[in-house]
Amino acid sequence: MTLQYLRYILNIMNVSLGFSQLKDPVLAANEAVGQALIGLKNAPANLALIFTSVEFAHPLMLKTANNLLGEIPILGCSSLGIITNHGVFKHGFAILLLSLNQQTFFNVAAVKDLNKKNPHLSGKELGDRLLFGFKNVPRSLSIILSDKLITEGVSLINGLQESLGKSFPLIGAAASDNFENHKTYQYLNQEILSESCSGILFGGKIHFGFGIKHGWLALGKLRYVTASSGNVIKEIDDLPAVKLYEDYFAKNTQELTKELRRISIYYPLGIYLPGEKEYLLRNIISIKDDGSLVTQGDIPPDSKIRLMISTEDSRLAATVAACEEAKKNLGCGEKIKLVIVFVSAARLSILGKQDDTELCVIREVFGENTPLIGIYTNGEQAPLKSIDYLGRTYFHNQSINILAIGEQ
Amino acid sequence: MTPFAFVGICLLLAIAGIALLNKTQRLKELGDKVTALNFSLEEMDEQAKLIMRTDMELNKAQEELDKKISGLDTLQKLSREISTTLEEKQIFKKINNQYVEELGFEKSLAFLWKSLEREFQLYLSLGYTQDESQKIKTAVNANKDYFLDLIKNGSTVSSEFAPEGTLSKSSFNHLFTVRSFIICPVLAQEGNQGFIFVGTQNTEASITKGDQEFISILANQIGQTLDNARLFEKTWRSQQELEIKVEERTHQLTQALQEVKKISKRKSDFISSVSHEIRTPLTSIKGYAAILLAGKLGELPEEIRSRLEKINRHSDELVHMVNDLLDISRIESGKVEIKKEALSLRAISDKIADLFSEQLKTKNISFNADLPEDCQEISADRSQIERVFINLVGNALKFTPQNGKIEIHAKRINQNIQIDVKDSGFGIPEDAQESIFEEFFRVDNTINQGVKGTGLGLSLVKQIIQAHQGKIWVKSKLGEGSTFSFTLNAA
Repeated sequence: MTLQYLRYILNIMNVSLGFSQLKDPVLAANEAVGQALIGLKNAPANLALIFTSVEFAHPLMLKTANNLLGEIPILGCSSLGIITNHGVFKHGFAILLLSLNQQTFFNVAAVKDLNKKNPHLSGKELGDRLLFGFKNVPRSLSIILSDKLITEGVSLINGLQESLGKSFPLIGAAASDNFENHKTYQYLNQEILSESCSGILFGGKIHFGFGIKHGWLALGKLRYVTASSGNVIKEIDDLPAVKLYEDYFAKNTQELTKELRRISIYYPLGIYLPGEKEYLLRNIISIKDDGSLVTQGDIPPDSKIRLMISTEDSRLAATVAACEEAKKNLGCGEKIKLVIVFVSAARLSILGKQDDTELCVIREVFGENTPLIGIYTNGEQAPLKSIDYLGRTYFHNQSINILAIGEQ
Repeated sequence: MTPFAFVGICLLLAIAGIALLNKTQRLKELGDKVTALNFSLEEMDEQAKLIMRTDMELNKAQEELDKKISGLDTLQKLSREISTTLEEKQIFKKINNQYVEELGFEKSLAFLWKSLEREFQLYLSLGYTQDESQKIKTAVNANKDYFLDLIKNGSTVSSEFAPEGTLSKSSFNHLFTVRSFIICPVLAQEGNQGFIFVGTQNTEASITKGDQEFISILANQIGQTLDNARLFEKTWRSQQELEIKVEERTHQLTQALQEVKKISKRKSDFISSVSHEIRTPLTSIKGYAAILLAGKLGELPEEIRSRLEKINRHSDELVHMVNDLLDISRIESGKVEIKKEALSLRAISDKIADLFSEQLKTKNISFNADLPEDCQEISADRSQIERVFINLVGNALKFTPQNGKIEIHAKRINQNIQIDVKDSGFGIPEDAQESIFEEFFRVDNTINQGVKGTGLGLSLVKQIIQAHQGKIWVKSKLGEGSTFSFTLNAA
C-alpha cells in the first residue's frame, strides 16, 4: 500500500531536532521525539524526518514516534552513522520535526519490492504518487531515500524524472547499513520498508539551495569505456576492464579482489562530463570472472573515464565548496533554518576516527547553532549544479550532498 | 602556349611545390610533436601509476597507523578501567560495546574455565542475545578440549590465520556468527583461566597482525587483573578472618579484664576488711604490751620484757604492713583523693636526706640530688609523693652496701619531669625486674633473705605514681646497682 499525503500548512516554518542514544528503540524514540517537540515551542509539527542506526529499525520505534506525533507524515531511513549538530554517532535515533509555512505543500509516498519490478517503471510510479493532488501547485524539490541494495538506482531516477521533470531538483540518498550487507531500511509513516524507495515532494514556496562535491581529481590518461551494460564495465580501451586497475596498481585480479574495498574508495573511476569541473565518481563493487568491473551506478558505453585520486585537503575543500554552493544558491536574503547532509559512507571509512572533521567544516560554514541532521549513504543523488536547475540528476558516489533550507 | 604562360605555370608549380614541401615539413614537425606529446603522455601515465601505487601504500600505512593509535588509545582507556577493578565479574563489566567497537569489532565474549564444575562459564557477552550466548556457551563446552588446548598452548587464533585442529575457520564463523574473529587465551597465573573472543560481521573488515596484538594485550591485561583480583580477595579474606579473630580475642580479653577487675575488687575489699579486722586486735595487743612494758602492772623479769619488746616490735611491723595493704587497696579502688599542688623537689630531697641521715651515716653512703633549674617543681600530692621517695630511697639504703652511693637525678621531658633514684647496690636479677612491682613479690636470693620487707612497698609506689598519671620502671644490673625512674607532671 502506498500512503499519500497532501498538506496545506498555515504557520511560519519552525524546525526542531531530537536525538537519543538509548538502546531500547521505544525509549530512544520517546526521548528524541520529546526533545524535538519541546524544541518546536508549541508550533504544530507537520512533518518528521527520522534517521536511525540499523538496530533501531524496529516497528515499535515508528509506532512510538507516530503515537507521540499524532500521525503526522514520517519519512526516513537507516544508516551506519547519524550526523547531528552534536557529532557523528554510530548508534542513535535522530528526528527532525518541521512546522512548515502556509505556502508550502508536500506529499510523501513510497514504492516497494523494487528488486522484483522494473526500476524505471517504479521510479515513474513513485513520481506519479508524489504528484498526486498537486494539480497546479508548482513543484519545488523532491528528496528520495532508497535501499542501497538496489542495483539500478539510475533507472529509478530516470523513471522518477520522467514523471517529475528532467530539469527538476531531485536530491536523494541510498540508505546504508553497518557493512554487514544484510538490509537497509526506509521509513514511511508507520511502515519499516526494505528494497523500497520513499520520497517527499515539496511544492509552493520553499527556499532551498544545495551543493554536491567529492574532491577527487583525475590522474593518468583518459580512457574509453568500449563495452558496458548498466553498472557493468566490460571493456576499457578494448581490454578487459580490470586491466586498468591491474596496470595502475601492479596487482593481479586476485590481489585486487582482496583489497577491492580500499582501492575502490580511494581510487574510484571518474566519468568525464563535458562542461563540468568535477568528474562523476563510480565505486567498484566487485570484479567478475571475465574481468568486468561492477560499479555502484551505471557507466554508459563510450564514456570517457579516468582513475581518480584525492587527499584529505581536496576532500575537505570539496565539503566547503558544497556548503558554500548550497548557501549561495539559497540566497543571501534567506535565513538558514535547517541543513540536511547526505555523506557517502566511503568518506566515513576514509576519515575513520576523525569522522567529525567534515562536520566541523559544515558547522563552520552554516554556523554552530543551525539545526543539522544527516546520514552516511551508499550513493547520493543530485544534479551537478543547482544554480538554475538545468542539469539532470545524477547518481553519485563518494560525495557530500548538502541541502540547506531557509526562509526569507 | 605562350612563353609567358609556360613561365607562369612553371612558377605556379614551383610555388605549389614549395608550399607542398612546407606543408610536408609542417606535417612532419606536427607528427613529431604528436609523437613527443604521446610519449610525454605515456610517461605521465607511468608517473601517474607510480603516484597511485605510492599513494595507496601511504594510505595503507596511514590507515594502519590510525588504527594503531586508535587501538592503543582504546586499550589505554580500557586498561585504566580494568586495572582499578578488584572483583572478577566487575572486570568484564568494564568492557562495553563502545570499547569493542573502537577496536573494530561489534561482538565479544569471555569465558573462564571453572575446574570444579569442569566447564567454561560465560563472563562477558556483547552483541549477542541471551539465547545466542547460551547456545554458544553450550557449543564451547561441547568442544572444551579444543579451547583448553588453546589456553594450554597460549596460542591466539583468528579468521585470517586459520587455526589447526578440530575446528575450522568456517565452524568458528558459524559458531560465533561472525565473518572475522580473534580468539585469545586469558592466562592468569593463579586460578581459572579462559579466553576472550572478538568478532565482526563487517564484510569489509579484515584481521591484521596489529588487531591480534591488541587483543593479546587486552587478554594479558585481563589475566593480570584477574590475578590481582584473586590476590586481593585472598588478602581481603585473610584480613577479614584476622579481624574476626582480633574481635573475638578482644572480646575474650575484655571479659577477662572484667573478671580481673572483679577479682581485684574482691581482693581489695577482702584486704580492706581483713586489715581492719586485724588492726583492732593488733592495737589491743600493742596496747597491752605497752602497759606491761611500762611496768604499770609491776616489774617484769628480763626474759618476759625481752619477749614483750619482740611482741611490740612485730606488732609495729604488722601494723605497718596492714597500713600499706590498706593504702594499696584504697588507691586501687580510687578511694584515695590525689590533691595535687606545686612541690619543691629540692625540699623533698632535703627532707629525705634528713630522714635517712642516721642510716646514711652508719653505712657511709653518700646521698646526692642533681636537680636542674627546669626541674625544680613538681605537681603532686605531698604526703603520697613523699611516701614514694621514702620507699625508693629506703629500698636503696637497704640494698646498698657500705660506702656506696645513692643519687637522685631529675630531667625535664616536655610537661613532665623524670626522676631517677639510683643506687650502687646489689642490683635486681633481670628475670625479677618485671615482677618487682607486684604485691608481696620479693626477689628470691640470699641478699633479700637478710633484709626485712613485706613486698608491698614497690607495689604501693606504683599505685601512687599511676594515681598521678605517671609511669614507673626499673633498670638494673646485678652487682652494678639499680635505677628506679618515674615521671610526674611538672608544676
